Amino acid sequence: MTLNFEHYFSMTACINHFIAVIFNRLYECDEDELLTNLHLLPPLLPVIDPEVALKACQEVLLKVKLLDNKQQQDDQKHADTTDCCGPPWHMNPDTSSIREEEEENDDEGQRETPAAQKHTPPAASSESPSPSSSKQSWLLRLFESKLFDVSMAISYLYKSKEPGVQAYIGNRLFSFPDGEVDFYLPQLLNMYVHMDTEVGDAIKPYLVHRCRSSITFSLLSAWLLGAYSSDMHISTQRHSRGTKLRKLILSDDLKPRSDEPSSGDVFVSPSRRTHQRSKSDATMASGFPGAGLRRTGSNPKVEAVHEEVRGRHVRTGFCCDESPERLRPQREFVKSLFCIGKRLATLPTKEQKTQRLISELSLLNHKLPARVWLPTAEHQHHVCRVPHTQAVVLNSKDKAPYIIYVEVLECNSFETSPVPTRIPETRIRSARSAENLDCGTPGNGSSMTSEHRAGSFSTVPNYDNDDDAWATDDIGQLQVEGEAQTSSSDNISQFSVDSITSLESKEPVFIAAGDIRRRLSENLAQTPTTFRRDPEDPSAVALKEPWEEKVRRIREGSPYGHLPNWRLLSVIVKCGDDLRQELLAYQFLKQLQSIWQQERVPLWIKPYKILVMSSDSGMIEPVLNAVSLHQVRKQSQLSLLDYFLQEHGSFTTEAFLTAQRNFVQSCAGYSLICYLLQVKDRHNGNILLDSEGHIIHIDFGFILSSSPRNLGFETSAFKLTSEFVDVMGGLDGDMFIYYKMLMLQGLIAARKHMEKVLQIVEIMQQGSHLPCFHGSSTIRGLKERFHMSLTEEQLQLLVEQLVDGSMRSITTKLYDSFQYVTNGIM
Amino acid sequence: MSQVEKKAGLLRRTSSSKKPLKEKVVLMYDEIFAKEDPAKNNPRFWDELFLMKVNLEYLESKLESVNGEEVQRIQDNINSLFHHCVQALGEEHQIKVVNALQTLCALFRGVHQKNKSASGFDIINMLMGFDKAERRMKDLMERLDSLLCGDSSESLKSLCLKLLLCLVTVTDNISQNTILEYVMINSIFEAILQILSDPSSRGQHGYDAVVLLALLVNYRKYESVNPYIVKLSIVDDEPTLDGMGVVLHQALTEYNRQYKDKEEENQGGFFSTLTSMVGSMFIADVDEKLSVQTNEAILLALYEAVHLNRNFITVLAQSHPEIDIPVTPSTPTPTTPTTPLGTTPPSLDVMNNPELPLDPNLQTSNLLITFLKYASIVMQDTKDEHRLNSARLCLIILTCIAEDQYADAFLHDDNINFRVSLHRMPMRHRKKAAGKNIPSRPLVCAVLDLMVEFIVTHMMKDFPMDLYLRCVQIIHKLLCYQKKCRIRLHYTWRELWSALINLLKFLLSNETTLLAKHNIFHLALLVVNLFNMFITYGDTFLPTSNSYDELYYEIVRMHQVFDNLYCMVLRVSTNTGQWKEAASKVTHALVNIRAIINHFNPKIESYAAVNHISQLSEEQVLEVVRSNYDTLTLKLQDGLDQFERYSEQPKEAAFFKELVRSISLNVRKNVSLNTLSQDVLLKEFSTIS
Repeated sequence: MTLNFEHYFSMTACINHFIAVIFNRLYECDEDELLTNLHLLPPLLPVIDPEVALKACQEVLLKVKLLDNKQQQDDQKHADTTDCCGPPWHMNPDTSSIREEEEENDDEGQRETPAAQKHTPPAASSESPSPSSSKQSWLLRLFESKLFDVSMAISYLYKSKEPGVQAYIGNRLFSFPDGEVDFYLPQLLNMYVHMDTEVGDAIKPYLVHRCRSSITFSLLSAWLLGAYSSDMHISTQRHSRGTKLRKLILSDDLKPRSDEPSSGDVFVSPSRRTHQRSKSDATMASGFPGAGLRRTGSNPKVEAVHEEVRGRHVRTGFCCDESPERLRPQREFVKSLFCIGKRLATLPTKEQKTQRLISELSLLNHKLPARVWLPTAEHQHHVCRVPHTQAVVLNSKDKAPYIIYVEVLECNSFETSPVPTRIPETRIRSARSAENLDCGTPGNGSSMTSEHRAGSFSTVPNYDNDDDAWATDDIGQLQVEGEAQTSSSDNISQFSVDSITSLESKEPVFIAAGDIRRRLSENLAQTPTTFRRDPEDPSAVALKEPWEEKVRRIREGSPYGHLPNWRLLSVIVKCGDDLRQELLAYQFLKQLQSIWQQERVPLWIKPYKILVMSSDSGMIEPVLNAVSLHQVRKQSQLSLLDYFLQEHGSFTTEAFLTAQRNFVQSCAGYSLICYLLQVKDRHNGNILLDSEGHIIHIDFGFILSSSPRNLGFETSAFKLTSEFVDVMGGLDGDMFIYYKMLMLQGLIAARKHMEKVLQIVEIMQQGSHLPCFHGSSTIRGLKERFHMSLTEEQLQLLVEQLVDGSMRSITTKLYDSFQYVTNGIM
Repeated sequence: MSQVEKKAGLLRRTSSSKKPLKEKVVLMYDEIFAKEDPAKNNPRFWDELFLMKVNLEYLESKLESVNGEEVQRIQDNINSLFHHCVQALGEEHQIKVVNALQTLCALFRGVHQKNKSASGFDIINMLMGFDKAERRMKDLMERLDSLLCGDSSESLKSLCLKLLLCLVTVTDNISQNTILEYVMINSIFEAILQILSDPSSRGQHGYDAVVLLALLVNYRKYESVNPYIVKLSIVDDEPTLDGMGVVLHQALTEYNRQYKDKEEENQGGFFSTLTSMVGSMFIADVDEKLSVQTNEAILLALYEAVHLNRNFITVLAQSHPEIDIPVTPSTPTPTTPTTPLGTTPPSLDVMNNPELPLDPNLQTSNLLITFLKYASIVMQDTKDEHRLNSARLCLIILTCIAEDQYADAFLHDDNINFRVSLHRMPMRHRKKAAGKNIPSRPLVCAVLDLMVEFIVTHMMKDFPMDLYLRCVQIIHKLLCYQKKCRIRLHYTWRELWSALINLLKFLLSNETTLLAKHNIFHLALLVVNLFNMFITYGDTFLPTSNSYDELYYEIVRMHQVFDNLYCMVLRVSTNTGQWKEAASKVTHALVNIRAIINHFNPKIESYAAVNHISQLSEEQVLEVVRSNYDTLTLKLQDGLDQFERYSEQPKEAAFFKELVRSISLNVRKNVSLNTLSQDVLLKEFSTIS
């Protein structure tokens, strides 16, 4: 039998009434299941005194009520003024059902607005807890309990057919932290687009509210709505709810309500600067930042509109808190990135693509900084520069995904903080120019006098010193360091120190040719293992470079690098690919990750963020410090184990053991993921290896019901090659046993929270034509893979079988050679 | 209304007029050259004058024909004409403005042609009168400035620039043009910058603006403080600098394209090798010569930008997809009427193109690449004076670039790879390079290639010593940078080594003829020191351990050359003579190379003897080299990684003076051609008014 969660939850609400029932239930449960669910009950078990418990419960309820009231006030305010934007949400016809029921328990009777009505019942019902065992009431208690979280809310929203419940949850959404709801945004929007009107109407107020308060939310919603609406038939799509809401958001009628002065600041503050810059061709014809992006936007329509806007803009004299430009800069920025992608796809060679990319990005740079940001990032920021020479085209056969690095300046709120002022690219030179070519900072070995040179034979010259000298962007710092060279200005000819010292030391200095030769080979050997530059695989070098190293290097070369809030981000721009499956996989992984964390199972996976921007474009957060197994193999020409030994040290070193453990934990995590999600197309180009030894699976293009070209390859549960096993220390090694144990623990933990995981996939199936939902048995199959009915012993056996099967699987090997033949992936 | 009618009538009459009939404007000119004040009888004289189509030839010839005494008499009238010209510039009536501009042109030119020998002060006096000169010129410059910056028609702006160019180039030696003193005081620098920063005006006037700027910067460059130099050196507005870069890039691209067309034309011919050689000589004479000259102005502008403005260096690397649209820089394109909405007219400008052209064959390019290609063309043939100057200027620009940290940084940037197809001179002993399969490499490789190419192809009797010195110094500067920043460039250094050794060989075999004209020891010293750089500091910048072995192999293989060089310098340094000291420096510099030769040669011989091999393979020699390093001691030489920084004064001053003179002559010639063909423009305005 399965344990009914609802009962646990309601219990916290009114312990004094139900404690007996609960204990009865508990006794009925399987011991196993009870144990696995124990974590849910920590506040319960020690509670013997029902009075204390009751008090605690009431406190919580009070808090919720307070929150709700506050929210409700806000909502009311909104409701008063929402008339322009779509059907006012409080006119929901479906609220009636819940209202009727509430009125039964209700002694206060009248309410001013239906909106308020919906929030007050919790308080009312808790005051007079009726022992009614009606289902609705149980449910209400559950909803009021503090364990009621977003995941449950979404689940009920999806499953419940009762309009009252839906409407109630629609309101409850307001009380959850934004961040938690954001995780389920794809589900919410997909429900909004594809489910019946009741659900849509229940969610809409929340969406509108969030759109008003956040540009990011607006854009994310608009993008997702576009993407999820695309599966509809073209005729219905145009009039669908999703499309309408999307239009509403993009029309930018959803501005923050209040006319606080701060909202004025948003756009006024940068205007002076841009006015000055408006001379430039970058921002030509645009009075405000970012809008200049349209130049690469390559859309004549936009141009026309823009001219118009500009006209108005000039007349109103930058007083533009009512301009429709709230979303524009970001949209233009994203659009120009995709335009670049599309144009790159037309070029035949990787080399041309990369060159073109660099030049296009350099043009883009002219329009930065602007009020644009990367939605994948954690912190609020403005994009200030794209170090264009660092961008590379990724390996793809006919499309042109590319990775760009983006310099950003963090700020409190990208909506209200002023856009950073542009610092010309050349500014950095003013600092550098003080440093002369032939007169390096003292002690860095660059302009060694004869004695230095002679003295430094044994010590291998240090790279870092040189780099540090090169890095002195900061003029102040330079002055401190460079006191010895203060006199040397640019035009004074620099027959420097060397000549003088040579006069002093008449003694000739001798050096051994052998030493020079030896140093050369030592220096070459010392260079950290970098990949060779390969015009056919330009990304390998860029991705191999350690992230810290890259950040340092780019920071040195950036005119903004000296700012304390400078950060480097990166993003992969994918054009022509549908990332909705990737997003689904991301959510799946993220959910499992948090489950494993919660259950303290040390499985390691790395969900990478996905931004779906339409049904054929999007952005991906790159995995840092990772290269694909294919690249590892091609560049190093070593087996995976030997590569580990090369990178981390010999078998007994701490570094190797750590890397090995990381490898095992990540392998176990991804093996489970691959099994549960039926991830296919697992060739070495799709598996990354990071600098700590973790493997990371990427490209979830074939999951659940879809597999590549239906060739029937890859029948094994997951990819486990003998190379992997070698790294784990062989079949009999402790680490391999540990690997299998981890998988078992992970599976048990995942099984416990199956609902949470399943729900993500199930909701997204609604109305979707994605290949991963092909056929009718997708969800059933997924559910079956959790093996709810098996005992732990049986599960252990299952894991053994899976591992065994995968290892033996000839098809994995076959698939690799198939990939090698068709795509050149080793 | 009446004016229009009159005008129309006039036009009709002129078009049908025969010889005996004099144009009305000519009659009016005659009046000016009479003693009387022309406005005396006809108060509307000046108004009417500027409504007439200007007859430049007549006015100019009239001015020229005036002799000394007459000048005194008509000076008042000429002053008055000048004054009214300046005033007419402020008129709303565009016809008047156009005519006034042209009349001013004629005035400047006519007066100067007449008084070639006269001092600048006389000319000022004659045109404006001493007492009023300052105010007149101030007015003139302000009016021009507002015309250039305002939203007047494009052809008007173009005419303003022509007038300025005409004024600037009116004397052969720009520094003797005293009127420019007023242009210095009343700066139009900002107007020029504005033209360059705006994409649409840049497309039409960029070329003139850039040339004008380059010339103005060269006014009394070395004698006084030139405000244009000061201002140019501190510009940091990126769009403006980029704009300048785009103009230069387009002009150079256009030249490269023309050259390529010519070359292909010639190669397509019957006797391909022969004709191409003859043809390339031919090109220089006929058509190309002119464009080489005009491009000297562009090259000068590039030089001034690179030399004076540190910020301009970034523009060099600013990449554009290569523009293959033919640009006609010096002829003003008839302006496309701007739409009432004020949308920008279509222009050739990349920045302005909302969508970059989608040609997959387009190679991305930047100013530096275009410049390198241009340099490779120019350097092919340095016999012609202009080409020699251009080549020299190219090398000077490269010197400036090689000295700049930022430029070096992007030259060596591993991420910025390009295929740069340099032009190579067809020569008897080598095939024309395949061209197609050049790998994509950091830009510095292209610079080095260019230097190697130059070294290899210019060993001739008429030895361009100056160019060689610059060339070797550029290589040296690049090596210094690589050594300092520990950049291990994957370059086939061997080509450079053998080119340098061949150069030494050439110097040796032509010692007597060369010594008559040049100090060959200085060049030899620089070359030997390049080798010393590799020998002593190779560990810091050579790409592989093998490359160090190869260096030794190359030296040992060519030991004869070094031996001979040593004998020669020893001989010269032991004799007394003017080269004694220079030669002895070379002897000292050779010490390590001689040590290497003396160390390895016996080892190799004994290896051959022991193994009974007569001819050692390269691999075997390398093996000997590798195993015998440890017994070789080298002497550390000082200052190998030091160099003298480039400075224009005093060394290059004479060169630039001459160059500017030649550019002035050339610009003057072209401007005169263009100002005469303004009919189109006049028609345009007559229809508007």
